[in-house]
Amino acid sequence: MSASTGNTESDSPLASRFGTFSLVFGIGFAIFYVICDMAALPLFTYHPGTDRIDFGYAPARRDEGPAMYWYGWLASSALGASALGFIATLLPEKIRCRLPLALAWVLPLVLLPVLIYSLNFYWRW
Amino acid sequence: MDFVLDYISVNTFWTILFMTHALLAVALLGALTHQAAAVLSRPRAAGSAGGFITRFRSVSGPSYATAVCVLWVITFILGGWIYTKYRIYVRIPIEQEGFYKTLGAFELKEHLTTIGLGFLPFYWHLWKNARNAACDSARKWLTVVLAGICWYAFLAGHVVNNVRGFGL
Repeated sequence: MSASTGNTESDSPLASRFGTFSLVFGIGFAIFYVICDMAALPLFTYHPGTDRIDFGYAPARRDEGPAMYWYGWLASSALGASALGFIATLLPEKIRCRLPLALAWVLPLVLLPVLIYSLNFYWRW
Repeated sequence: MDFVLDYISVNTFWTILFMTHALLAVALLGALTHQAAAVLSRPRAAGSAGGFITRFRSVSGPSYATAVCVLWVITFILGGWIYTKYRIYVRIPIEQEGFYKTLGAFELKEHLTTIGLGFLPFYWHLWKNARNAACDSARKWLTVVLAGICWYAFLAGHVVNNVRGFGL
């Protein structure tokens, strides 16, 4: 029983395994995505000019147009977040229910300045 | 999808795709804005009629949750599909014009909508437990954050479309 709210553990949305998975997936996905973006860690690279797909990071090829990493970042982040979410569901309910729900909305706000900074190449005045 | 191009031109195909993406984004924006207004406002007194703003925010939030998730995912998939053409036919000309802040704003849109996508399962779970008071604060603020992301994405996409022009 939580003294401050009067809620029991079974009241927590994290009492269900799906609730835990979805929260940890969201947190993990956001963090992995920012890491993948800033550290250039795509699972694959797509070359839209030639429809070529390379595993991992691959620079743009001469005369073949640009390379796209966003799809690869999505895949890397989804894989990492799914694994993290699955592991979290294996934790005992007591521990799962201690995860702060507020992370779901605080984390995007915290990551916003990081993302803006990661795009500093574009902020030319 | 190549068989479609037997009936319509390549330009028409991408135009239809883009228009569908834009229209779904409008629907998503409307749904999330209603929902965010509903969670931010105090419950209306029973029997009070209220004006436009009162009626605007007096929607049943839970009934919007699944629609918001479906709209976000479909809009995201269509955006991701169009993104291949954006990279070659939109971004490169804008780079050549030197509108870097516009491109940066668009890159930020892509990052924020992706992060929002990751939180959709939890958002859905919170709304499916709408009677659970333990979820109230997280549900309220996650909805507001997603609505903010949606508004930003809508405006950034609109600006890029205005900069590049349409059907060029």
